[in-house]
Amino acid sequence: MVSYLVYGLVFLPMAGAFLSYALGRKHKKCRDYFVGGVAVLEFGLAAVLLCQRIAGGVIGGEFGLPGVCGMGLSFTVDGFRAVYACIAAFMWMGTSLFSIEYFAHYRNRNRYYLFQLITLGATEAIFLSADLYTTFVFFETMSFASYVWVAQDERDESLRAAATYLAVAVIGGLVMLMGLFLLYHQAGTLEIDKLYEACRGKDVYAAALCMLFGFGAKAGVFPLHIWLPKAHPVAPAPASALLSGILTKTGIFGVLVISCRILLHDALWGTFILALGVLTMAAGAVLALFSIDFKRTLACSSVSQIGFILVGIGMQGLLGEENVLAVRGSFLHMVNHSLFKLVLFMIAGVIYMNLHRLDLNEIRGFGRKKPLLAFLYLTGALGIGGMPLFSGYISKTLLHESIVEYTEGLSEGLITPVIFSSGGMKAIEWAFLISGGLTVAYMTKLFVAVFVERNNDAALQEKYDAQKRYMSPLSSAVLLAGGLLFPLMGIFPGMTMDGLADLGQGFMGLAGAGGRISYFSFGNLKGGLTSIAIGAALYLLVGRGWMLRRAVSGEEGAECAAEDQGKRRADVFSGILKWEDGCVYLDRWPKLLDLEEYLYRPLLLTILPAVCGCVCGILDKVTNVLAKFLIRAGTAAAGFLDTLTDALVVLLRKTVYRDHTKMGELKEGNWLTYILGSAANTACGIMNRIFRKNHPKETNYKHKLALGYWGLRETIYMITRSLSYGLILFSIGLCATLIYLLVGAVK
Amino acid sequence: MDYKMNASIIMLTAIFFPILLGAVLLLAPEFHSRNRLLAVTGAGLVITGILAGCALGTEGTEFLLLSLGERLQIYFRLDDLGRIFAAIVTIVWILAGFYAFEYMKHEREEKRYFGFYLMVFGVLLALDFAGNIVTYYLFYELMTLLSMPLVLHSKTKEAIMGGMKYLFYSLCGAYMVLLGVYFLNKYADTLNFTAGGTLNMELAAGNEKTLLVIVFFMILGFGVKAGMFPMHAWLPTAHPVAPAPASAVLSGLIVKAGVLGVIRTVYFLFGESFIRGTWVQTAWLTLTLVTIFMGSMLAYREKIMKKRLAYSTVSQVSYILFGLALLEPSAMTGALLHVVFHAFVKVTLFLAAGAIIYKTGKTNVDDMTGIGKEMPVTIWCYTFASLALIGIPPASGFISKWHLAVGALQSGAGIFTWLGPVILLISALLTAGYLLPVTVKGFLPGADYDYENLRKKEPSLWMLVSLIIFAALSILLGVFPNPLTEYIRAIVSTVL
Repeated sequence: MVSYLVYGLVFLPMAGAFLSYALGRKHKKCRDYFVGGVAVLEFGLAAVLLCQRIAGGVIGGEFGLPGVCGMGLSFTVDGFRAVYACIAAFMWMGTSLFSIEYFAHYRNRNRYYLFQLITLGATEAIFLSADLYTTFVFFETMSFASYVWVAQDERDESLRAAATYLAVAVIGGLVMLMGLFLLYHQAGTLEIDKLYEACRGKDVYAAALCMLFGFGAKAGVFPLHIWLPKAHPVAPAPASALLSGILTKTGIFGVLVISCRILLHDALWGTFILALGVLTMAAGAVLALFSIDFKRTLACSSVSQIGFILVGIGMQGLLGEENVLAVRGSFLHMVNHSLFKLVLFMIAGVIYMNLHRLDLNEIRGFGRKKPLLAFLYLTGALGIGGMPLFSGYISKTLLHESIVEYTEGLSEGLITPVIFSSGGMKAIEWAFLISGGLTVAYMTKLFVAVFVERNNDAALQEKYDAQKRYMSPLSSAVLLAGGLLFPLMGIFPGMTMDGLADLGQGFMGLAGAGGRISYFSFGNLKGGLTSIAIGAALYLLVGRGWMLRRAVSGEEGAECAAEDQGKRRADVFSGILKWEDGCVYLDRWPKLLDLEEYLYRPLLLTILPAVCGCVCGILDKVTNVLAKFLIRAGTAAAGFLDTLTDALVVLLRKTVYRDHTKMGELKEGNWLTYILGSAANTACGIMNRIFRKNHPKETNYKHKLALGYWGLRETIYMITRSLSYGLILFSIGLCATLIYLLVGAVK
Repeated sequence: MDYKMNASIIMLTAIFFPILLGAVLLLAPEFHSRNRLLAVTGAGLVITGILAGCALGTEGTEFLLLSLGERLQIYFRLDDLGRIFAAIVTIVWILAGFYAFEYMKHEREEKRYFGFYLMVFGVLLALDFAGNIVTYYLFYELMTLLSMPLVLHSKTKEAIMGGMKYLFYSLCGAYMVLLGVYFLNKYADTLNFTAGGTLNMELAAGNEKTLLVIVFFMILGFGVKAGMFPMHAWLPTAHPVAPAPASAVLSGLIVKAGVLGVIRTVYFLFGESFIRGTWVQTAWLTLTLVTIFMGSMLAYREKIMKKRLAYSTVSQVSYILFGLALLEPSAMTGALLHVVFHAFVKVTLFLAAGAIIYKTGKTNVDDMTGIGKEMPVTIWCYTFASLALIGIPPASGFISKWHLAVGALQSGAGIFTWLGPVILLISALLTAGYLLPVTVKGFLPGADYDYENLRKKEPSLWMLVSLIIFAALSILLGVFPNPLTEYIRAIVSTVL
């Protein structure tokens, strides 16, 4: 019976998703109600499951689908899981019913509903999973399916935020997978209930850290919170509610598995989580206070509240066996935060649906004369702010008291300090109270801006005031159903919240019911009231004093404020006291502190790919270049061998069998003509460069002189020859004459 | 005739029927009508498929075709490992062939393409059924030569250069293998593939160092086909120039011939104990990890779709080699699973890329904005395959990577125990980075997308059916992997 309920919870919405897609192609109206119907049915199933759990005590055990996805999927039901399955289904029901009105004019709704229902099934499966393998399988499904929600609008900023979301999901998922590998290797099992025994005495910190990275990224733990403030403002409001209210809780579910099942009561781990929690809590709250966008404020608030929950989880580890306050506090704060964000984001949805704006300066005054909306907002805001008589007060008090308990234990020497001494814990307590105060401050900021102040544009304000019908009866009913829970749970904590805590605490390793706490005793009230007082002060100083500036006219306000440095001090007081129109909220948060824009994106998208790409590019080319080089070298070598004989011949010819020529013999002319000619050539060249630029003289004097020399030699030769011939003839004649004379004389 | 004889005849027919039919197609005069060519090719594919299917169903089939000497035998034998490879080849070859019926419309000289296509089918089956390294080597060379015309089909300058590069790299690898065959002939008891190895340790004693170099050469040589660094460069050149169905089978199956060669060498000839813990294992692991990272990184930076997929193949096939190099049962199971999954996934991706080229002519991923609106079914198939390749559960790639990582952690291979999984995950991240943008831009073109001028450009059924079947296999094998995993475990247990 239980197994069928669980399979129903997981696979019914997945089947419904495809049906709704098919239906949506034919009939849009039918599809909208069909999706609502599936969500209601889902909630019914979850409620039955929860009732069975309450009535029947421990039910179930593990069951699953062996062999699917290799290791098999397995599910189990315990108090925590039943409660969260129920809350998830409740939130989906609320948002689905609200979506009917919200999405009325959207494009690509079919796609949205398809992925919304797939995510529902996956989320239920995560909360009901009995082993981390199953958790991981559905965790990835959920991450990828919910990507589409963020990108739904397809505006540039949505696509950018969605890309960030996807990147965080993929990176987180892979690091988590590494953690699972390590854990599986060391523990030999991934079944959540067996992990504690299997990991005892083993060094599983590396695995735990990797898994924490993955789950923490989804939960929005600092410094991996970057996707939340980007994704929420651009996602449709029902999607934001789910992202913030329940998807972050799947991350917390994982953190709980690590902290309560793998490293149960591990003080070192607890300290680490506590430190992360304090950072997240403070960073989120400060970001939220400085934000001037309605949904962005809520998104940053989610980061901060996750920090509160982490503080609780950290305290569980530090307190060890005596952690009843921390356990109940963190669980109840999870539940509270889910429900708060459901209501608050749907209110943001109502505003956006009417105005298509979320900037505080533009939506200012929208809530005036809308008592229902104001009431709903107040329930959520007072709840999350920790006002007594609202549910948030209960969980925050428990968390606060757990810190106080630990600090007292430290100062009395009952507990040995791990890293934080009692002074450090005191500081953490104050960080907790101040973050609580910040929560009050930013919720007040939103309330005053939307519901109290008037818009700077009087005509617009008139239009806002005249608008009576701003949401359908169905949406109002959904919102009321959520909003009324908070005072109800806050006023009767014994019946509601303690019951929930009893159900949930077993998961966190706490057996037996905790003692009843008188939540409204003075000691407990003191913490809450301190927070509220801090909040009021912070709101007046920062929210009004610093962020609110008198505007000359709407657009010039920012410049004007920048110029008026001198009047700043005066302005602070005027801002605090001035409750009238004519002022604008300024974004005071320095842009340079955006981790995503100035650290993650440049690092991951530019620097690392450039460096690695360069190295890989070289590696890629190395063979080719080497091959080409080898071919060249081979050709050269072969050519060398090929011409070896020829070369020998040539060598011999050049050396031994050389043509006999005198060293230094000139081709033409003699040394005198050569020197003279060279000189003349140089002179001519110089002349050419200087005087005869246009008509350079191209005579080669060396050659000319040599020719002259040859001519001269030839002539001399000729002359010599003719002279000697003459002389010979003369001599012959002379001889003949002499002979004649001799012969004549003899005769 | 007895059962064994019948089985052998079926096996031989499955090998030689497509080779002969392809040869006849190539020699025959031009057909009058295109349909007749398709009918002949289709019939050839289906008949071969049936024959191969029947052959796979037989037990203990072996056949000595030709004996050129005591050790030089053309010898076929069917074993479980060959069965898996042959089964993938059969499924992919037939469906990619049907896909080509439509795709090749926009290429010329279809007869040549289909002729060689059929011949390579037979050769690949022969490779999978090969019973000794001589036969394997013979058909390995034959595969290279016969698949080259598929690469340079379009006969453009790039195609011919790509084809030449493919040829040179492959031949270079084949010679490295050949060198190993000579040594094996001397030092092994038999050249027949035997689970656990056939190396004669008495003969080999004293020559271990030489033989280790020889193993490394053989791994490198088969690694050329498998795209392992440093001999991977032919892949990104040859794939983009080939027609899409050809690049699909090149990437999905022909590179796997290199993988099968490595398995046969390491696990069936030398034996895993021979290289365990030696420098060969370390070097091999290092090369595979370098390849995995390098391939993903370059794919991430590549803009031409098919080239990107080719780099992706470089990276993914080295996942398989990494798993084999660990010499660990779980890792080897993961590797063999990845052989199957990668074949289906990569074929899907290439066929999807081909469908995009065929219908829109777009090759650059930056131009593909809104492609999902134009070709929703194609891009859905692409997306499912992408998720499988990244390793998002429950899609198939997750299962193989799980086994690989678990195997790496259990292997006790020093630094590689944790470095391996880390590189696998970084590569998975990069895989997401290079595959998902197409889907994202395709389905989410932005608010200013012109919906008015949207035309559906879905390809015809010939292409879609193949795509859908492959995409479905990529997912379903991940959801129900256990029969396959068990089968592979049984193979692994015989060699490790």
